[in-house]
Amino acid sequence: MFRLLVEPFRDAYMQRALVEILVLSALAGVVSVYVLLRRLAFVGDALTHTIFPGIAIAFVAGHSLFLGALFAGLASAVLLTAATRIRGIDHDAALGVLVGAFFSLGVVIVSTQSSYTADLTALLFGLIHTVATTEIIETTAIAVGVLVVLRLTHKELVLRAFDPVAAEAMGYRTLLLDLVVNGLVALVVVAGVRAVGTVLVIALLVVPGAIARLVSERIAPMIVVAVGAAGLCGYLGLAASYEASLNHNVRLGSGATVVVALTFAFVLTAAFSTLVRRRHRAALGPALPA
Amino acid sequence: MSVSYGRDLALDDVTLSVARGEAVALIGPNGAGKSTLLKAILGLLPLTEGRVEVLGQRPEDARERVGYVQQADTLDAEFPVSVLQVVLMGRYRAIGWFRRPGADDRRQAMEALAEVGLADRAKDRFGTLSGGQRQRVLLARAIAQHAQLLLLDEPFNGLDATTTDILIEVLARMRADGVGVVMSTHDLAVAHLTCGDACVLNRRRVAYGPIGEAITPGTLAEAYGSRAVQLASGATVVTTTTTTTTTG
Repeated sequence: MFRLLVEPFRDAYMQRALVEILVLSALAGVVSVYVLLRRLAFVGDALTHTIFPGIAIAFVAGHSLFLGALFAGLASAVLLTAATRIRGIDHDAALGVLVGAFFSLGVVIVSTQSSYTADLTALLFGLIHTVATTEIIETTAIAVGVLVVLRLTHKELVLRAFDPVAAEAMGYRTLLLDLVVNGLVALVVVAGVRAVGTVLVIALLVVPGAIARLVSERIAPMIVVAVGAAGLCGYLGLAASYEASLNHNVRLGSGATVVVALTFAFVLTAAFSTLVRRRHRAALGPALPA
Repeated sequence: MSVSYGRDLALDDVTLSVARGEAVALIGPNGAGKSTLLKAILGLLPLTEGRVEVLGQRPEDARERVGYVQQADTLDAEFPVSVLQVVLMGRYRAIGWFRRPGADDRRQAMEALAEVGLADRAKDRFGTLSGGQRQRVLLARAIAQHAQLLLLDEPFNGLDATTTDILIEVLARMRADGVGVVMSTHDLAVAHLTCGDACVLNRRRVAYGPIGEAITPGTLAEAYGSRAVQLASGATVVTTTTTTTTTG
Protein backbone atom coordinates (compact mmCIF):
# COMPACT_ATOMS: atom_id res chain seq x y z
CA MET A 1 0.00 0.00 0.00
CA PHE A 2 2.77 2.37 1.04
CA ARG A 3 4.60 1.54 -2.16
CA LEU A 4 1.53 2.31 -4.26
CA LEU A 5 1.01 5.69 -2.64
CA VAL A 6 4.58 6.93 -2.25
CA GLU A 7 6.69 5.29 -4.91
CA PRO A 8 5.08 7.08 -7.88
CA PHE A 9 6.22 10.44 -6.56
CA ARG A 10 9.97 9.76 -6.34
CA ASP A 11 10.64 11.24 -9.75
CA ALA A 12 10.80 15.01 -10.12
CA TYR A 13 8.28 15.11 -12.98
CA MET A 14 5.73 13.21 -10.87
CA GLN A 15 6.35 15.54 -7.95
CA ARG A 16 5.67 18.51 -10.19
CA ALA A 17 2.53 16.82 -11.48
CA LEU A 18 1.40 16.23 -7.90
CA VAL A 19 1.99 19.83 -6.84
CA GLU A 20 0.14 21.08 -9.93
CA ILE A 21 -2.84 18.81 -9.31
CA LEU A 22 -2.99 19.75 -5.59
CA VAL A 23 -2.92 23.48 -6.32
CA LEU A 24 -5.53 22.98 -9.01
CA SER A 25 -7.67 20.91 -6.63
CA ALA A 26 -7.64 23.62 -3.98
CA LEU A 27 -8.64 26.18 -6.61
CA ALA A 28 -11.27 24.12 -8.41
CA GLY A 29 -12.60 22.72 -5.13
CA VAL A 30 -13.42 26.17 -3.77
CA VAL A 31 -14.81 27.48 -7.04
CA SER A 32 -16.91 24.32 -7.57
CA VAL A 33 -18.97 25.26 -4.49
CA TYR A 34 -19.87 28.60 -6.08
CA VAL A 35 -20.56 26.84 -9.39
CA LEU A 36 -23.01 24.59 -7.54
CA LEU A 37 -24.66 27.49 -5.69
CA ARG A 38 -25.09 29.51 -8.88
CA ARG A 39 -26.03 26.43 -10.93
CA LEU A 40 -23.28 27.25 -13.39
CA ALA A 41 -22.32 23.70 -14.40
CA PHE A 42 -23.41 24.32 -17.96
CA VAL A 43 -21.75 27.74 -18.12
CA GLY A 44 -18.55 26.08 -16.91
CA ASP A 45 -18.91 23.46 -19.60
CA ALA A 46 -19.45 26.17 -22.19
CA LEU A 47 -16.35 28.02 -20.99
CA THR A 48 -14.16 24.95 -21.46
CA HIS A 49 -15.23 24.94 -25.10
CA THR A 50 -15.08 28.68 -25.78
CA ILE A 51 -11.54 28.85 -24.40
CA PHE A 52 -10.40 26.17 -26.81
CA PRO A 53 -9.87 28.39 -29.91
CA GLY A 54 -7.69 30.74 -27.81
CA ILE A 55 -5.45 27.83 -26.92
CA ALA A 56 -5.50 26.58 -30.50
CA ILE A 57 -4.43 29.95 -31.90
CA ALA A 58 -1.65 30.30 -29.32
CA PHE A 59 -0.52 26.76 -30.11
CA VAL A 60 -0.43 27.25 -33.88
CA ALA A 61 1.23 30.66 -33.57
CA GLY A 62 3.79 29.21 -31.16
CA HIS A 63 2.85 31.58 -28.33
CA SER A 64 2.25 30.69 -24.68
CA LEU A 65 -0.80 28.45 -24.36
CA PHE A 66 -1.36 30.01 -20.97
CA LEU A 67 -1.68 33.51 -22.39
CA GLY A 68 -3.91 32.26 -25.22
CA ALA A 69 -6.19 30.52 -22.73
CA LEU A 70 -6.16 33.49 -20.37
CA PHE A 71 -7.19 35.91 -23.10
CA ALA A 72 -9.82 33.58 -24.54
CA GLY A 73 -11.07 32.74 -21.05
CA LEU A 74 -11.69 36.31 -19.98
CA ALA A 75 -13.21 37.19 -23.37
CA SER A 76 -15.51 34.15 -23.13
CA ALA A 77 -16.58 35.10 -19.60
CA VAL A 78 -17.75 38.49 -20.89
CA LEU A 79 -19.39 36.92 -23.94
CA LEU A 80 -21.17 34.23 -21.91
CA THR A 81 -22.41 36.70 -19.32
CA ALA A 82 -23.82 38.80 -22.14
CA ALA A 83 -25.29 35.76 -23.91
CA THR A 84 -27.26 34.68 -20.83
CA ARG A 85 -28.84 38.14 -20.73
CA ILE A 86 -30.18 38.16 -24.30
CA ARG A 87 -33.93 38.60 -24.10
CA GLY A 88 -36.19 36.32 -26.06
CA ILE A 89 -33.73 33.44 -26.25
CA ASP A 90 -33.22 30.67 -23.74
CA HIS A 91 -29.91 30.69 -21.80
CA ASP A 92 -29.23 27.10 -22.78
CA ALA A 93 -29.73 27.82 -26.47
CA ALA A 94 -27.50 30.91 -26.36
CA LEU A 95 -24.74 28.92 -24.65
CA GLY A 96 -25.21 26.02 -27.05
CA VAL A 97 -24.67 28.31 -30.04
CA LEU A 98 -21.46 29.69 -28.52
CA VAL A 99 -20.13 26.25 -27.59
CA GLY A 100 -20.59 24.80 -31.07
CA ALA A 101 -19.17 27.84 -32.84
CA PHE A 102 -16.08 28.25 -30.66
CA PHE A 103 -15.20 24.60 -30.31
CA SER A 104 -15.35 23.93 -34.04
CA LEU A 105 -13.29 27.07 -34.65
CA GLY A 106 -10.63 25.66 -32.31
CA VAL A 107 -10.63 22.27 -34.05
CA VAL A 108 -10.40 23.93 -37.49
CA ILE A 109 -7.36 25.91 -36.33
CA VAL A 110 -5.60 22.86 -34.87
CA SER A 111 -6.43 20.77 -37.94
CA THR A 112 -4.18 23.01 -40.08
CA GLN A 113 -1.22 21.39 -38.31
CA SER A 114 0.40 18.18 -39.55
CA SER A 115 0.67 16.78 -36.02
CA TYR A 116 -3.07 17.35 -35.69
CA THR A 117 -4.20 14.28 -33.77
CA ALA A 118 -1.46 14.25 -31.13
CA ASP A 119 -1.77 18.00 -30.55
CA LEU A 120 -5.53 17.87 -30.25
CA THR A 121 -5.29 15.02 -27.75
CA ALA A 122 -2.86 16.97 -25.58
CA LEU A 123 -5.09 20.04 -25.59
CA LEU A 124 -8.27 18.12 -24.92
CA PHE A 125 -7.02 15.70 -22.30
CA GLY A 126 -4.05 17.44 -20.73
CA LEU A 127 -0.43 16.53 -20.28
CA ILE A 128 0.22 16.80 -16.59
CA HIS A 129 3.51 14.89 -16.71
CA THR A 130 5.13 17.63 -18.74
CA VAL A 131 4.19 20.40 -16.31
CA ALA A 132 7.17 22.69 -15.69
CA THR A 133 7.91 24.75 -12.60
CA THR A 134 6.93 28.00 -14.33
CA GLU A 135 3.55 26.50 -15.12
CA ILE A 136 3.06 25.55 -11.48
CA ILE A 137 3.85 29.14 -10.55
CA GLU A 138 1.25 30.37 -13.08
CA THR A 139 -1.39 28.03 -11.68
CA THR A 140 -0.54 29.12 -8.14
CA ALA A 141 -0.77 32.79 -9.10
CA ILE A 142 -4.22 32.21 -10.60
CA ALA A 143 -5.29 30.25 -7.52
CA VAL A 144 -4.21 33.00 -5.14
CA GLY A 145 -5.91 35.68 -7.23
CA VAL A 146 -9.17 33.75 -7.54
CA LEU A 147 -9.29 32.89 -3.84
CA VAL A 148 -8.66 36.50 -2.82
CA VAL A 149 -11.50 37.73 -5.07
CA LEU A 150 -13.83 35.04 -3.72
CA ARG A 151 -12.96 35.91 -0.15
CA LEU A 152 -13.70 39.59 -0.80
CA THR A 153 -16.98 39.08 -2.68
CA HIS A 154 -18.25 35.97 -0.88
CA LYS A 155 -21.30 37.47 0.79
CA GLU A 156 -22.48 39.30 -2.31
CA LEU A 157 -22.01 36.21 -4.52
CA VAL A 158 -23.99 34.05 -2.09
CA LEU A 159 -26.76 36.66 -1.88
CA ARG A 160 -26.96 36.84 -5.67
CA ALA A 161 -27.04 33.05 -5.94
CA PHE A 162 -29.71 32.62 -3.27
CA ASP A 163 -31.95 35.59 -3.95
CA PRO A 164 -31.26 37.52 -7.17
CA VAL A 165 -34.41 39.64 -6.74
CA ALA A 166 -33.35 40.85 -3.29
CA ALA A 167 -29.81 41.48 -4.54
CA GLU A 168 -31.18 43.80 -7.24
CA ALA A 169 -33.66 45.37 -4.85
CA MET A 170 -30.78 46.17 -2.48
CA GLY A 171 -29.03 47.94 -5.33
CA TYR A 172 -26.39 45.38 -6.30
CA ARG A 173 -25.46 45.18 -9.96
CA THR A 174 -26.10 41.52 -10.59
CA LEU A 175 -24.52 41.74 -14.04
CA LEU A 176 -21.24 42.73 -12.38
CA LEU A 177 -21.50 39.87 -9.87
CA ASP A 178 -22.21 37.41 -12.72
CA LEU A 179 -19.21 38.72 -14.59
CA VAL A 180 -17.02 38.17 -11.53
CA VAL A 181 -18.17 34.55 -11.12
CA ASN A 182 -17.89 33.72 -14.80
CA GLY A 183 -14.45 35.33 -14.89
CA LEU A 184 -13.33 33.21 -11.94
CA VAL A 185 -14.68 30.03 -13.53
CA ALA A 186 -12.86 30.95 -16.74
CA LEU A 187 -9.61 31.34 -14.78
CA VAL A 188 -10.02 27.86 -13.28
CA VAL A 189 -10.52 26.46 -16.77
CA VAL A 190 -7.38 28.28 -17.92
CA ALA A 191 -5.43 26.89 -14.97
CA GLY A 192 -6.78 23.36 -15.42
CA VAL A 193 -6.34 23.02 -19.16
CA ARG A 194 -2.73 21.82 -19.01
CA ALA A 195 -3.27 19.31 -16.26
CA VAL A 196 -6.52 17.66 -17.25
CA GLY A 197 -7.40 19.23 -20.60
CA THR A 198 -10.38 21.33 -21.68
CA VAL A 199 -12.79 18.42 -21.73
CA LEU A 200 -12.08 17.13 -18.25
CA VAL A 201 -11.61 20.39 -16.36
CA ILE A 202 -15.39 20.68 -16.19
CA ALA A 203 -15.39 17.62 -13.91
CA LEU A 204 -13.08 19.46 -11.51
CA LEU A 205 -15.49 22.41 -11.53
CA VAL A 206 -18.61 20.38 -10.83
CA VAL A 207 -17.90 17.11 -9.00
CA PRO A 208 -16.15 18.38 -5.82
CA GLY A 209 -19.00 20.83 -5.14
CA ALA A 210 -21.57 18.10 -5.71
CA ILE A 211 -19.76 15.76 -3.28
CA ALA A 212 -19.57 18.58 -0.73
CA ARG A 213 -23.30 19.32 -0.96
CA LEU A 214 -24.05 15.67 -0.19
CA VAL A 215 -21.93 15.89 2.94
CA SER A 216 -22.88 19.30 4.32
CA GLU A 217 -25.72 21.82 4.36
CA ARG A 218 -23.48 24.78 5.12
CA ILE A 219 -21.22 26.66 2.75
CA ALA A 220 -18.02 26.88 4.82
CA PRO A 221 -17.76 23.13 5.52
CA MET A 222 -18.75 22.47 1.89
CA ILE A 223 -15.69 24.40 0.73
CA VAL A 224 -13.43 22.34 3.02
CA VAL A 225 -14.95 19.05 1.82
CA ALA A 226 -14.74 20.07 -1.86
CA VAL A 227 -11.07 20.98 -1.59
CA GLY A 228 -10.31 17.79 0.33
CA ALA A 229 -12.16 15.58 -2.12
CA ALA A 230 -10.53 17.20 -5.16
CA GLY A 231 -7.05 16.97 -3.60
CA LEU A 232 -7.44 13.36 -2.52
CA CYS A 233 -8.80 12.26 -5.89
CA GLY A 234 -6.05 14.18 -7.68
CA TYR A 235 -3.45 12.36 -5.63
CA LEU A 236 -5.06 8.92 -5.99
CA GLY A 237 -5.69 9.43 -9.71
CA LEU A 238 -2.04 10.28 -10.37
CA ALA A 239 -0.80 7.35 -8.30
CA ALA A 240 -3.19 4.93 -10.00
CA SER A 241 -2.26 6.02 -13.52
CA TYR A 242 1.45 5.72 -12.66
CA GLU A 243 1.03 2.25 -11.20
CA ALA A 244 -1.08 1.00 -14.10
CA SER A 245 1.24 2.42 -16.75
CA LEU A 246 4.53 1.30 -15.21
CA ASN A 247 3.80 -1.95 -13.47
CA HIS A 248 0.82 -3.34 -15.34
CA ASN A 249 1.52 -2.08 -18.81
CA VAL A 250 -1.89 -0.42 -19.06
CA ARG A 251 -1.62 3.18 -20.20
CA LEU A 252 -4.08 5.26 -18.20
CA GLY A 253 -4.27 8.97 -19.05
CA SER A 254 -3.55 10.67 -15.74
CA GLY A 255 -6.00 13.55 -16.18
CA ALA A 256 -8.81 11.17 -17.03
CA THR A 257 -7.85 8.88 -14.14
CA VAL A 258 -8.18 11.82 -11.74
CA VAL A 259 -11.67 12.46 -13.08
CA VAL A 260 -12.58 8.77 -12.78
CA ALA A 261 -11.42 8.91 -9.13
CA LEU A 262 -13.61 11.98 -8.56
CA THR A 263 -16.62 10.32 -10.13
CA PHE A 264 -16.03 7.22 -8.04
CA ALA A 265 -15.84 9.39 -4.91
CA PHE A 266 -19.12 11.06 -5.89
CA VAL A 267 -20.91 7.75 -6.38
CA LEU A 268 -19.62 6.45 -3.04
CA THR A 269 -20.65 9.65 -1.23
CA ALA A 270 -24.08 9.61 -2.86
CA ALA A 271 -24.65 6.00 -1.85
CA PHE A 272 -23.42 6.65 1.67
CA SER A 273 -25.53 9.79 2.16
CA THR A 274 -28.64 8.01 0.88
CA LEU A 275 -27.97 5.24 3.40
CA VAL A 276 -27.46 7.71 6.25
CA ARG A 277 -30.64 9.58 5.37
CA ARG A 278 -32.64 6.36 5.28
CA ARG A 279 -31.30 5.33 8.69
CA HIS A 280 -31.98 8.79 10.03
CA ARG A 281 -35.54 8.63 8.77
CA ALA A 282 -35.98 5.11 10.15
CA ALA A 283 -34.70 6.27 13.54
CA LEU A 284 -37.05 9.27 13.53
CA GLY A 285 -39.96 7.23 12.24
CA PRO A 286 -41.50 5.92 15.47
CA ALA A 287 -41.17 9.33 17.13
CA LEU A 288 -43.30 11.04 14.49
CA PRO A 289 -47.01 11.29 15.12
CA ALA A 290 -49.01 8.89 12.99
CA MET B 1 -46.13 56.91 -13.66
CA SER B 2 -46.55 54.54 -16.60
CA VAL B 3 -44.59 51.35 -17.25
CA SER B 4 -44.62 49.18 -20.39
CA TYR B 5 -43.22 45.77 -21.22
CA GLY B 6 -42.54 46.16 -24.92
CA ARG B 7 -45.81 47.37 -26.43
CA ASP B 8 -47.78 46.09 -23.47
CA LEU B 9 -48.77 48.89 -21.10
CA ALA B 10 -48.48 47.37 -17.60
CA LEU B 11 -49.26 50.51 -15.65
CA ASP B 12 -51.10 53.45 -17.16
CA ASP B 13 -50.72 56.78 -15.41
CA VAL B 14 -50.84 55.55 -11.79
CA THR B 15 -50.11 58.10 -9.10
CA LEU B 16 -49.77 57.46 -5.38
CA SER B 17 -47.75 58.68 -2.44
CA VAL B 18 -46.79 57.23 0.93
CA ALA B 19 -45.88 59.41 3.87
CA ARG B 20 -43.65 58.27 6.75
CA GLY B 21 -45.55 55.89 9.00
CA GLU B 22 -48.31 55.46 6.44
CA ALA B 23 -49.26 52.25 4.66
CA VAL B 24 -50.87 51.75 1.27
CA ALA B 25 -52.42 48.46 0.18
CA LEU B 26 -52.24 47.67 -3.54
CA ILE B 27 -55.39 45.77 -4.42
CA GLY B 28 -56.09 44.22 -7.78
CA PRO B 29 -56.29 40.97 -9.72
CA ASN B 30 -53.24 39.01 -10.93
CA GLY B 31 -51.63 40.92 -13.77
CA ALA B 32 -53.02 44.24 -12.52
CA GLY B 33 -49.51 45.66 -12.24
CA LYS B 34 -49.02 45.43 -8.46
CA SER B 35 -45.58 43.80 -8.68
CA THR B 36 -44.69 46.13 -11.56
CA LEU B 37 -45.53 49.11 -9.38
CA LEU B 38 -43.31 47.79 -6.56
CA LYS B 39 -40.43 47.17 -8.97
CA ALA B 40 -40.83 50.68 -10.37
CA ILE B 41 -40.52 52.07 -6.84
CA LEU B 42 -37.27 50.09 -6.54
CA GLY B 43 -36.08 51.62 -9.80
CA LEU B 44 -35.77 48.20 -11.43
CA LEU B 45 -38.01 49.04 -14.40
CA PRO B 46 -37.70 51.93 -16.81
CA LEU B 47 -40.71 54.25 -16.75
CA THR B 48 -42.50 55.03 -19.98
CA GLU B 49 -43.77 58.23 -18.46
CA GLY B 50 -43.79 60.00 -15.14
CA ARG B 51 -41.45 60.01 -12.19
CA VAL B 52 -40.78 58.12 -8.96
CA GLU B 53 -39.22 59.77 -5.96
CA VAL B 54 -38.21 57.65 -2.98
CA LEU B 55 -37.21 59.31 0.30
CA GLY B 56 -36.32 62.45 -1.64
CA GLN B 57 -34.02 60.61 -4.05
CA ARG B 58 -34.09 58.78 -7.37
CA PRO B 59 -35.27 55.20 -6.68
CA GLU B 60 -31.96 53.65 -7.71
CA ASP B 61 -30.15 55.86 -5.19
CA ALA B 62 -32.55 55.08 -2.36
CA ARG B 63 -32.46 51.26 -2.57
CA GLU B 64 -30.30 50.84 0.52
CA ARG B 65 -33.07 52.40 2.61
CA VAL B 66 -35.87 50.45 0.92
CA GLY B 67 -36.76 46.98 2.18
CA TYR B 68 -38.32 44.53 -0.24
CA VAL B 69 -40.11 41.38 0.90
CA GLN B 70 -41.14 38.97 -1.84
CA GLN B 71 -43.00 35.68 -1.54
CA ALA B 72 -40.74 33.23 0.25
CA ASP B 73 -41.77 30.29 -1.92
CA THR B 74 -39.91 31.81 -4.88
CA LEU B 75 -36.62 30.91 -3.14
CA ASP B 76 -34.72 27.63 -3.49
CA ALA B 77 -35.49 25.50 -0.43
CA GLU B 78 -32.41 23.33 -1.01
CA PHE B 79 -29.95 26.23 -0.89
CA PRO B 80 -27.34 25.61 1.83
CA VAL B 81 -27.89 28.77 3.84
CA SER B 82 -28.98 29.14 7.48
CA VAL B 83 -31.86 31.25 8.74
CA LEU B 84 -29.43 33.65 10.43
CA GLN B 85 -27.41 34.02 7.22
CA VAL B 86 -30.56 35.00 5.32
CA VAL B 87 -31.41 37.66 7.91
CA LEU B 88 -27.81 38.92 7.86
CA MET B 89 -28.23 39.61 4.14
CA GLY B 90 -30.35 42.58 5.22
CA ARG B 91 -27.19 44.06 6.76
CA TYR B 92 -25.01 43.66 3.65
CA ARG B 93 -25.44 47.18 2.27
CA ALA B 94 -24.69 48.69 5.66
CA ILE B 95 -21.63 46.41 6.03
CA GLY B 96 -20.37 47.35 2.56
CA TRP B 97 -18.22 45.53 0.01
CA PHE B 98 -15.26 43.36 1.00
CA ARG B 99 -16.19 43.20 4.71
CA ARG B 100 -17.79 40.45 6.69
CA PRO B 101 -20.70 40.73 9.13
CA GLY B 102 -19.51 41.63 12.63
CA ALA B 103 -20.85 40.95 16.13
CA ASP B 104 -23.12 43.99 15.95
CA ASP B 105 -24.66 42.80 12.67
CA ARG B 106 -25.30 39.39 14.22
CA ARG B 107 -26.93 41.00 17.24
CA GLN B 108 -29.24 43.04 15.02
CA ALA B 109 -30.08 39.98 12.93
CA MET B 110 -30.88 37.97 16.07
CA GLU B 111 -33.09 40.79 17.38
CA ALA B 112 -34.97 40.85 14.08
CA LEU B 113 -35.41 37.06 14.25
CA ALA B 114 -36.68 37.33 17.82
CA GLU B 115 -39.24 39.92 16.70
CA VAL B 116 -40.71 37.43 14.21
CA GLY B 117 -40.57 34.62 16.79
CA LEU B 118 -37.84 32.55 15.15
CA ALA B 119 -34.77 33.18 17.31
CA ASP B 120 -34.59 29.48 18.18
CA ARG B 121 -34.36 28.52 14.47
CA ALA B 122 -31.37 30.77 13.66
CA LYS B 123 -28.99 27.89 12.95
CA ASP B 124 -31.41 25.77 10.93
CA ARG B 125 -31.23 25.63 7.16
CA PHE B 126 -33.67 28.11 5.61
CA GLY B 127 -35.36 25.43 3.53
CA THR B 128 -36.25 23.29 6.57
CA LEU B 129 -38.71 25.94 7.78
CA SER B 130 -42.41 26.00 6.87
CA GLY B 131 -43.67 28.43 4.23
CA GLY B 132 -44.99 30.85 6.82
CA GLN B 133 -41.76 30.72 8.82
CA ARG B 134 -39.72 31.42 5.69
CA GLN B 135 -41.91 34.44 5.01
CA ARG B 136 -41.16 35.65 8.54
CA VAL B 137 -37.42 35.20 7.93
CA LEU B 138 -37.66 37.49 4.88
CA LEU B 139 -39.55 40.02 7.01
CA ALA B 140 -36.76 39.76 9.63
CA ARG B 141 -34.26 40.47 6.86
CA ALA B 142 -36.11 43.70 6.05
CA ILE B 143 -36.24 44.57 9.79
CA ALA B 144 -32.47 44.05 10.08
CA GLN B 145 -32.00 46.36 7.11
CA HIS B 146 -33.64 49.22 9.06
CA ALA B 147 -35.45 50.28 5.93
CA GLN B 148 -37.36 53.56 5.89
CA LEU B 149 -39.72 52.32 3.21
CA LEU B 150 -40.95 48.73 3.15
CA LEU B 151 -42.34 47.12 0.01
CA LEU B 152 -44.13 43.79 0.36
CA ASP B 153 -45.22 41.69 -2.63
CA GLU B 154 -48.17 39.50 -1.60
CA PRO B 155 -46.68 38.61 1.79
CA PHE B 156 -49.90 37.06 3.09
CA ASN B 157 -50.49 34.47 0.39
CA GLY B 158 -51.32 31.09 1.87
CA LEU B 159 -49.91 31.77 5.32
CA ASP B 160 -50.69 30.25 8.71
CA ALA B 161 -52.48 32.30 11.40
CA THR B 162 -49.34 32.78 13.54
CA THR B 163 -47.40 34.25 10.64
CA THR B 164 -50.28 36.51 9.66
CA ASP B 165 -50.57 37.81 13.24
CA ILE B 166 -46.82 38.42 13.47
CA LEU B 167 -46.76 40.21 10.10
CA ILE B 168 -49.62 42.47 11.24
CA GLU B 169 -47.82 43.23 14.53
CA VAL B 170 -44.48 43.93 12.89
CA LEU B 171 -46.03 46.20 10.25
CA ALA B 172 -47.82 48.17 12.98
CA ARG B 173 -44.58 48.52 14.96
CA MET B 174 -42.62 49.63 11.90
CA ARG B 175 -45.28 52.18 10.96
CA ALA B 176 -45.16 53.53 14.51
CA ASP B 177 -41.41 53.94 14.02
CA GLY B 178 -42.04 56.04 10.93
CA VAL B 179 -41.50 53.44 8.22
CA GLY B 180 -43.69 53.84 5.12
CA VAL B 181 -45.27 50.64 3.80
CA VAL B 182 -46.53 49.66 0.34
CA MET B 183 -48.02 46.17 0.22
CA SER B 184 -49.68 44.27 -2.58
CA THR B 185 -52.25 41.79 -1.40
CA HIS B 186 -55.41 39.91 -2.26
CA ASP B 187 -56.38 39.68 1.39
CA LEU B 188 -58.84 42.51 1.95
CA ALA B 189 -59.20 41.77 5.68
CA VAL B 190 -55.45 41.99 6.23
CA ALA B 191 -55.32 45.12 4.09
CA HIS B 192 -57.83 46.75 6.41
CA LEU B 193 -55.86 45.67 9.49
CA THR B 194 -52.50 46.93 8.27
CA CYS B 195 -53.05 49.83 5.91
CA GLY B 196 -54.68 53.24 6.20
CA ASP B 197 -54.86 53.79 2.47
CA ALA B 198 -55.58 51.59 -0.50
CA CYS B 199 -54.94 51.83 -4.21
CA VAL B 200 -57.22 49.64 -6.30
CA LEU B 201 -55.46 48.79 -9.54
CA ASN B 202 -56.11 47.14 -12.81
CA ARG B 203 -53.30 48.46 -14.99
CA ARG B 204 -54.72 51.88 -14.25
CA ARG B 205 -55.70 53.40 -10.96
CA VAL B 206 -59.34 52.46 -10.24
CA ALA B 207 -59.54 54.08 -6.81
CA TYR B 208 -57.12 55.59 -4.32
CA GLY B 209 -57.59 57.03 -0.85
CA PRO B 210 -58.45 56.04 2.72
CA ILE B 211 -59.00 52.30 2.61
CA GLY B 212 -62.66 52.45 3.66
CA GLU B 213 -63.44 54.74 0.74
CA ALA B 214 -61.17 53.21 -1.89
CA ILE B 215 -62.32 49.62 -1.45
CA THR B 216 -66.01 49.47 -2.26
CA PRO B 217 -68.12 46.89 -4.07
CA GLY B 218 -68.06 49.25 -7.04
CA THR B 219 -64.27 49.68 -7.23
CA LEU B 220 -63.68 45.96 -6.68
CA ALA B 221 -66.13 45.11 -9.46
CA GLU B 222 -64.31 47.55 -11.71
CA ALA B 223 -60.87 46.11 -10.93
CA TYR B 224 -61.71 42.42 -10.73
CA GLY B 225 -64.56 42.30 -13.28
CA SER B 226 -66.54 39.10 -13.07
CA ARG B 227 -64.23 37.77 -10.34
CA ALA B 228 -65.83 40.17 -7.81
CA VAL B 229 -69.10 38.69 -6.62
CA GLN B 230 -71.55 40.68 -4.56
CA LEU B 231 -73.27 38.62 -1.86
CA ALA B 232 -76.85 39.08 -0.67
CA SER B 233 -75.54 40.57 2.58
CA GLY B 234 -74.00 43.41 0.62
CA ALA B 235 -70.41 42.15 1.08
CA THR B 236 -68.20 41.60 -1.94
CA VAL B 237 -66.17 38.42 -2.35
CA VAL B 238 -63.15 38.49 -4.64
CA THR B 239 -61.99 35.23 -6.15
CA THR B 240 -58.43 34.95 -7.33
CA THR B 241 -56.37 32.14 -8.69
CA THR B 242 -53.27 31.89 -6.59
CA THR B 243 -50.88 29.01 -6.90
CA THR B 244 -49.32 28.11 -3.62
CA THR B 245 -46.39 25.76 -3.75
CA THR B 246 -45.25 24.07 -0.61
CA THR B 247 -41.82 22.58 -0.43
CA GLY B 248 -39.79 20.88 2.23
